[in-house]
Amino acid sequence: MARPSLPGARRRPRPERGGWRHIPALALALVFCLPLVYMVAGSFRKAGLPPPRTPELLPSPIAFDNYERAFELVDLGRHLLNSIAVAAIAVPLTILFASWAGFAISRLPRRAAAALVGISLVALMVPATALLVPRFALFKTLGLTDTWIPLIAPSLLGTSPFYVLLYAWSFRRLPGDLFEASRLEGLGVLGTWWRVGMPLVRPVTVAVAVLAFVFTWSNFLDPLIYLFDPDKYTLPLGLRSLAQLDRQNFPLLLAGAVVATAPVILAFLYVQRFFLQEHRELG
Amino acid sequence: MASLVLTGVGKRYGEVEALRGLNLEVGEGELLALVGPSGSGKTTALRIVAGLEQPSAGSVRIGARDVTRVPPAARNVSMVFQSYALFPHLSVAENVGFGLRARRVSKGEAGQRVRAAAEIVGCSSLLERKPHELSGGERQRVALARALVREPDLFLLDEPLSNLDAQLRVQMRAELKRLHQRLETTMIYVTHDQYEALTLGDRVAVLGDGVLQQVGPPEEVYDRPINRFVAAFVGTPAMNLLPVEGGRAGPFAVRVPASLAGRALEAGVRPEHVQLGTGDSVEVQLVESAGSETFLHLGWRERTIVARTGAGVRPAVGSSVTVSVAPGHVRLFDAESGSAL
Repeated sequence: MARPSLPGARRRPRPERGGWRHIPALALALVFCLPLVYMVAGSFRKAGLPPPRTPELLPSPIAFDNYERAFELVDLGRHLLNSIAVAAIAVPLTILFASWAGFAISRLPRRAAAALVGISLVALMVPATALLVPRFALFKTLGLTDTWIPLIAPSLLGTSPFYVLLYAWSFRRLPGDLFEASRLEGLGVLGTWWRVGMPLVRPVTVAVAVLAFVFTWSNFLDPLIYLFDPDKYTLPLGLRSLAQLDRQNFPLLLAGAVVATAPVILAFLYVQRFFLQEHRELG
Repeated sequence: MASLVLTGVGKRYGEVEALRGLNLEVGEGELLALVGPSGSGKTTALRIVAGLEQPSAGSVRIGARDVTRVPPAARNVSMVFQSYALFPHLSVAENVGFGLRARRVSKGEAGQRVRAAAEIVGCSSLLERKPHELSGGERQRVALARALVREPDLFLLDEPLSNLDAQLRVQMRAELKRLHQRLETTMIYVTHDQYEALTLGDRVAVLGDGVLQQVGPPEEVYDRPINRFVAAFVGTPAMNLLPVEGGRAGPFAVRVPASLAGRALEAGVRPEHVQLGTGDSVEVQLVESAGSETFLHLGWRERTIVARTGAGVRPAVGSSVTVSVAPGHVRLFDAESGSAL
């Protein structure tokens, strides 16, 4: 028999059903986490031993000195600082130029915007390797090889047309009245971009920042081509040096890989709350 | 507070002519209601005044200044958008003070002016909230506060009540009227709701097909529409328009002046001027009760005539009633040009 409810009494929220729906997501997360787990576990395996025949989750004995040795063999500390410096310059520049370009596209008349979107899409389809030789020739002519400038230069174009399109699409989704109100209230284009546009596409900025950071951080090819002085090397080149050790010393490479991966994971953990925040403000 | 003069203003979008030769003057402190159906060019006209659109022809003067090529921010006009256009990431206080901050007004002065503007429109208690925490009526008040905090020369309101429910719309309409009376600011109020235009405007300008059809005090526009378009658009229900044949317009006897004899004419009769009890017989097709009044849809041959009567008058559907109209309440139009005669 149904129990009569008291008038005004609040019903308790029912526990959420369908928890099983998360199982595929958890399984997928596990697939992606396993290599990371093995990387961390492997980094504590004693160096100099033959590689294990089966994956081991907890090496015995645990060798903490792998990290110390990795830093002794290769100047990982300097490479880490170099990578941080390159990313610290390239990521903000990527956000600045991608958002400017995206904002401009979003505010243009439809036909002009469509043409620019088309150009961006075409640019997106050009493989990066196809531009290696002309880019190298250009930077060599300008005398900019063996500097970080070739590594940072793509950020002056938003790093990838995809980021520009992401911004253009996000700005386009905002009501045009907001930008017109901003104009009437006395802000110029830059003021409107900064004080109205950017705060309203913050999750996109976070996404672009993470993607650009991962791209810059893990960029191996450009440093390999443009950098000759080991003092200017970034972390991927340092890891490459560790990869040249013999097979028994793979825990040292994994220790270097953990050092290279940790900042990316920490950065993602820090910014994931921005991804999860709802667009309540726009409601 | 300033006057506004539009001279020969036109706007083309490719092949489409949204506005043609608009000549309009709005006096200092006047509230002009700009009304017309969708696509009539009223919002385009407002955006041209605001500077959000450039006219293809003509000029815009605010006070003594020609502002045709002046950017929006330098015109000292404020606009309340249909969507209110409140910045969702800012609090109410920041929204209201947005223009002051953009114009580098000192923090102290801006705070004072924000509080004063919020006080005027009755949103002082909302200053810390975000727009998504406000109801439709509250958002509207905040948009009004933002518009008046800069003390603009000209207030532009683009269908500001259209997103509100019927009850709130009536309340806000009265508040807007009071606000205008208190501030005595020049206002242009765009609406597609002719009732709103008639109740709010000191004068009403009717736009149709991008052309200014008539401008005048509400009662003039209502009682003496200048053409068939205005007659049909202004008034709910619309004016009955009937062809004149042999001194009669439908069931009504019409006096046609000798000077108009032989011309194809149409007679316009407002529903409230249709008198029951004398004259020709018509069939009651539909009875609509609106509480304080009743609308009768009356069939005469192939046409339907609408009569507005008191609440107690409820003839049975299918029955016959007799109708007439006093001669002074018939408006004659040229059947070809549509112009009033």
